[in-house]
Amino acid sequence: MVFIAADLWIYSSLMGSFTAFVEEKNHDEVTLFVQTAPEEKGEYAQWLKGIEGIIPGSAAVYLDYRDHEFVPTVGMTAATDALWREAGGSAAFRQALESSYYLETTKLRDRYQVRYDLAGGARTKVDIYFVPVIADNGYEALGTVMVLVPSTGILGFARLLRIFAIGAAIVFVAILWAVMLTRDPVTSFMVLGLMTIVLVFVAYPLIEALRLSFMKDGRFSLETWKLGLSPTYIVALWGSLKLGVATATASTIIGFMIAFLVERTAFKRKRLVSVLATMPVISPPFSLSLSIILLFGNNGLITTQLLKMKAFSIYGLGGLTVVQTISMFPIAFLTISGVLKQIDSTVEDASLDLSATRWQTFRSITLPLATPGILSAWMLVFTNSLADFANPQLLAGSLRVLSTEAYMIVTGRTNDLGGGAMLSFLLLLPTLTAFMVQRFWVARKSFVTVTGKPSTTLADLTSKRVRTFLAVVTYLVIGFIMLLYLTIVVGAFVKNWGIDYSFTLANWKAVSDSWNAIKSTVLLALIAAPTAGLLSMIAAMLIVRKNFPGKRILEVLMMTPYAIPGTLVGISYIIAFNKPPLMLVGTAAIIVINYVIRELPVGLENGITALHQIDPSIEEAAHDLGADVPTVFRTIVLPLVRPAFISSMSYTFVRAMTAVSAIIFLISAKWYHLTVKILSYSENIRFGLASVLCTVLIIIVLGVFGLMQLLVKDEKLTRKSIALR
Amino acid sequence: MEKKSVSVTLNNVTKIFKDPKGKADVLAVDDANFVVEPGELVTLLGPSGCGKTTTLRMIGGFELPTSGKVYIGGDDVTMLPPNRRDTATMFQSYGLFPHMSVFDNVAYGLRLRKIEPEAIRKQVDEYLELVGLAGYGERAPGRLSGGQQQRVALARSLIVTPSVLLLDEPLSNLDALLREQMRVEIKRIQRSLGITAVYVTHDRVEAMSLSDRVIVMKDGKIRQIGSPDEIYEKPDSRFVAGFVGKAAFFPVAIGERNEGVWECMLGDRPVHARSAAPDIVRNSRGVLMARPESLRLVDKGEGHLDGRVRMNVYLGHSLESYIQTAFGEVLVQVDDPNARTIRKEGEEVSIEFPPDRVRLLGEREE
Ligand SMILES: Nc1ncnc2c1ncn2[C@@H]1O[C@H](COP(=O)(O)OP(=O)(O)OP(=O)(O)O)[C@@H](O)[C@H]1O
Ligand SMILES: [Mg+2]
Repeated sequence: MVFIAADLWIYSSLMGSFTAFVEEKNHDEVTLFVQTAPEEKGEYAQWLKGIEGIIPGSAAVYLDYRDHEFVPTVGMTAATDALWREAGGSAAFRQALESSYYLETTKLRDRYQVRYDLAGGARTKVDIYFVPVIADNGYEALGTVMVLVPSTGILGFARLLRIFAIGAAIVFVAILWAVMLTRDPVTSFMVLGLMTIVLVFVAYPLIEALRLSFMKDGRFSLETWKLGLSPTYIVALWGSLKLGVATATASTIIGFMIAFLVERTAFKRKRLVSVLATMPVISPPFSLSLSIILLFGNNGLITTQLLKMKAFSIYGLGGLTVVQTISMFPIAFLTISGVLKQIDSTVEDASLDLSATRWQTFRSITLPLATPGILSAWMLVFTNSLADFANPQLLAGSLRVLSTEAYMIVTGRTNDLGGGAMLSFLLLLPTLTAFMVQRFWVARKSFVTVTGKPSTTLADLTSKRVRTFLAVVTYLVIGFIMLLYLTIVVGAFVKNWGIDYSFTLANWKAVSDSWNAIKSTVLLALIAAPTAGLLSMIAAMLIVRKNFPGKRILEVLMMTPYAIPGTLVGISYIIAFNKPPLMLVGTAAIIVINYVIRELPVGLENGITALHQIDPSIEEAAHDLGADVPTVFRTIVLPLVRPAFISSMSYTFVRAMTAVSAIIFLISAKWYHLTVKILSYSENIRFGLASVLCTVLIIIVLGVFGLMQLLVKDEKLTRKSIALR
Repeated sequence: MEKKSVSVTLNNVTKIFKDPKGKADVLAVDDANFVVEPGELVTLLGPSGCGKTTTLRMIGGFELPTSGKVYIGGDDVTMLPPNRRDTATMFQSYGLFPHMSVFDNVAYGLRLRKIEPEAIRKQVDEYLELVGLAGYGERAPGRLSGGQQQRVALARSLIVTPSVLLLDEPLSNLDALLREQMRVEIKRIQRSLGITAVYVTHDRVEAMSLSDRVIVMKDGKIRQIGSPDEIYEKPDSRFVAGFVGKAAFFPVAIGERNEGVWECMLGDRPVHARSAAPDIVRNSRGVLMARPESLRLVDKGEGHLDGRVRMNVYLGHSLESYIQTAFGEVLVQVDDPNARTIRKEGEEVSIEFPPDRVRLLGEREE
């Protein structure tokens, strides 16, 4: 209470002194201005205009003193005219004019609303000053100048001050709550901290983005959304959906075949296939696009040089589907193999015993049991395909999709942030729907864990022919992936792809050219990784072990970024953080925050799963022996959830290194990202340079990823986490 | 090791677990009041879900009472977290730190107190010795038997010399023999250190054999507090009587009270019984409670309730006679049967109710 009173008092006195300061300053400026009045009345019009240069947004009118009356003569506009007609006869004006007659400068006590636009400024409230113009003799008023000074300057500052005052009050109440009303201030502070983080960096930018999409020229308007639902952009929505359906379907089929081969047959090289098939997950999102262009593009090695095809174009729905499928089928593979692994073979055995054929068994037992997994896989790939920005940016050709349209409308000539926000919200609709369906419907319907006991023998449902077929498909896919990676590496050493294939090291100057970008990319990823890892483990501990008001809200807000396309995150961040009170655009902080916020959900899920497997009395015992909450976290929780912690860190690192869709909006000259460099090299057909940087990026990622995996045996978890976003 | 013993007091403590959906709130502990005297070992006894663990966790600081106050040694500790209370808890599942050796487990509390490594080593060895685990320091807890893990947990709790030891069914994971050993062990250590202890169990034998006093709980409410023999011999309610031992119940009409003894009518015969039950009203109906070993068999017509021997079960040190009566089958335990006349199966007999050994209880409930 005392604090709030103090807060109010500080606020009002600050406010008062600031207002007084500004008014005094304006008063002086106005007085000085009038002293510069020219000799000739003919020059008055020009002179009066000069007030705008002194106090922005203000206007001045000269009232001549004739026949015992002040009459406006120079500088009238629609706005001042209306004001004069309305208020000119009022007591306040009369009194002020009388003072002018006695050579006194007056400021009217009340503020007046100006109906029409002042010169340049919007309609606003104004302070009105009357400053007499004194004749040469020094004791006679020639006339008076009425100066209208908009009070917005003061209002803007007042708004800021109010925000700070309210903020301070909230902070105080929160601290009070934490210290006095709860038993465990440390936990309360952690909860408050997390709550603040998600409110400021998840809720606030999204709300700002949504708000902006309903604004035009500072007013509420549906125009942006009308534009979004116009044929121009409906085409792009369709494009996104077509691409999503195609990619999801192709990925699910390939993913299922490989998963079936690995999990349900007597196939030998399971581990090798699992590792190679998930490679695309940890490489930059468009490295595959790059090599596809190198091989099949307009000057592609295979299409143009080897096959001499003229009319072929890889750009468009077809090529894009191929690239997205190759980069996203691992998601389907991991999801489906997780489900297939858990199907108890004894069920299949039972069916075979009942003399069902293998095909019948597959169709009536295995497939239905795997269906929820297959649907999940489809939805996940669909979501990812829609959110993908990098591949369409390189390969879409004439196909229009929402993620790149949003980027273009934002970076384009009109710089239309609201439009970008609107388009990414449009994109959010199908993504969110798929996400919800996957989470709450498909996941519920899974009835896979039949016994939970892994069975020792597998009922092999496949004939030799089927197995061979599956193996061939698998090797073809893996071979293709290898070819694509090889192409990038080769591309790094080739003089001029498509024209001159001689060996060169010249491309490697890209490394020194981009040295700063490489450094900042790695640095920021290295900062983000432990931050996200720690935060997610702390959050998991709070959510699993503690009870506090608003727990559900916190959990939902923390999970939200998982379902949101990166484009929307990026756009909402530049909308929200390019203005006070949080001016973050252009700093390294916003990039790190963006990584952390976007990768928290996966770490959180890993942490929650890990904690659920740990007996709470272990932590309670430590607490009981005298450890406070942070000590319990450090000495007990963190070591016990180490696999989840490290995999969240490596996951965040990989994702941060290969990020592009959100980051492309947030980078600055100082804090650049390697992927954006690669993207721009590719767009400018500097494939050699792009290949070099791509190779470097892959090496860094693989190196650090491998290093982190040495710390924890649970590599699967990480790959899975990365894939399953 | 010596430390001043302290008391534990619960004043009107109530705990309601709020259902997140606000529908099914659980009243886990309902207005609990008791005092555990310094150095005393008190058990909380009751059926599953009656709120024993919750009560214990409120003393340990793991749960915050919805209302009421908890005092340890006269200080109000209601708002203090576990790490700032002078209590140590032994959890049912032990809660050993799986990523630390036995030594590090036991040393954990001392390390938090910033004691020099040398002193820690000495003390840990001493306590491992105390619980009979000398030489096990380097083992991982996962590679110990249940009983050994249990002792590590005990050593880990005791080494920080808590004023109050809280035990939540510490023996429930052990086999019968080990359980008996550990029971004696715990009691011995508790006595020698003079620690105030609260012990949760649903095993009446454990409660009886271990405690100075027993608190019987049901559905979140404390039903009776007393020494083991008081609880057994002088229960206040049918629930307590039935929960702590075998008992037979007979409906009676309550008459007048005479020098602390109630005159009742069992059928058409007068019986006398004492009572401390709060709900006994003159000239109403009540229930007579009798333990099998307190009943005596006499000749037909001489006792308070006639019947016929249906079956005899010979157990060596005693004999169980099942008597068919107008109120159903009644178990009578005859001690040292070899020194007595034995009523044959089929014989007409009568059961006698010694006034000091049977209890009159209120008629309501169960
Ligand atoms: N964290 C909790 N949230 C909701 N209800 C709870 C919680 N802990 C306990 N309860 C409920 O409170 C009641 C008392 O639980 P408590 O654990 O104290 O019983 P108990 O006497 O220890 O039982 P047991 O002998 O089975 O251990 C039960 O109905 C239980 O379901
Ligand atoms: Mg319990």
